[in-house]
Amino acid sequence: MNSWLSVSEPARALLQSPLFALTLSIGVYRFSGWFYRRSGHFAFFHPVLTGAAIVALLIGALDIEYQRYLDGNALLTFLLGPATVALAIPLYQQLPLIRKMAAPIIISVTTGSIVAAGSAVAIAALLQADQQTLLSLAPKSITTPIAISTAEEIGGLASLATGVVVFTAVLGLCIGPPLLRWLNVTDERVWGLCMGITAHAAGTARSFEFTQTAGTFSGLAMSLTGTFSAVIIPLAAPWIRALAN
Amino acid sequence: MLRSFFVLLLFQALGEAVKAATGVLLPGPIIGMLMLFAALCAWQKLPQDLIATSQQLISHLPLMILPPAVGVYFLGRLFSDQWLAISAAVLVGTILSFVFNALLLKRLVKK
Repeated sequence: MNSWLSVSEPARALLQSPLFALTLSIGVYRFSGWFYRRSGHFAFFHPVLTGAAIVALLIGALDIEYQRYLDGNALLTFLLGPATVALAIPLYQQLPLIRKMAAPIIISVTTGSIVAAGSAVAIAALLQADQQTLLSLAPKSITTPIAISTAEEIGGLASLATGVVVFTAVLGLCIGPPLLRWLNVTDERVWGLCMGITAHAAGTARSFEFTQTAGTFSGLAMSLTGTFSAVIIPLAAPWIRALAN
Repeated sequence: MLRSFFVLLLFQALGEAVKAATGVLLPGPIIGMLMLFAALCAWQKLPQDLIATSQQLISHLPLMILPPAVGVYFLGRLFSDQWLAISAAVLVGTILSFVFNALLLKRLVKK
């Protein structure tokens, strides 16, 4: 192992264990959350951003393979399932608000998901990206679990699609709030919808920090965008493939 | 706490079962969420512990996406010659998406 740290075999086994992976995730998450609050909720210091960078540095230094770290965190990634189901509760609580806004929500989710996927694919095609890259870019605004199955469905790379989805989430966290302020978006419902359509789960997590209503609308936009895109992107796949030539 | 966590897992399992039975492309948890939402609309009641558990889970969403997010730093080899196109596409696409949706929604949503 050509890491700068040389450790004994039992210590290595501990470093490679799920126990260490989980402890590392939660510890770093607590620290970056504290740091984020100390910074006065500054977008670039969001716990997902700083936390991911710290974990990447640490597992690199400790010579832990990323895949092993990810597998070790299976318990956490498993919770994404029940947490997604749990989004039904704020949705139900905000039902009267949502019912009043059904038309704007449906219009923005359908056109918004087409703009999000279409613009990314078109720009990459202009820059001569290959076919597999284009197919992996299309699901960029879909929440990770749906994005992976959609990318695989149309012949993209699951790992690249995951990277693109997370990259979008991270960017959405950084530029979303300042951009929405610049665009003079003061309505918390609009704020949440924009974050959810563009930056899915991370946007929703960030919106719940803004207000409960913003979070609910973001969660709603995230699930609708994911659902709609999962249906529409496979239908658009032939055109995406044709763009690569 | 345990009862409400059981309810969430049960609906996730129901979602997976529907997915397996019908072959729809949607992930199980999203189908489960829609089913739980429909069940709440039909039942017209919202138990207090279900609210508490869901708030707990939702508030820790950033922790759950942390491990996959770390993967961004380990994409190196996959990116190779495509990284410029990918970065430009995601950057410009994300900005366009925010601007488009914000302007559209400001027009559609009346105060």
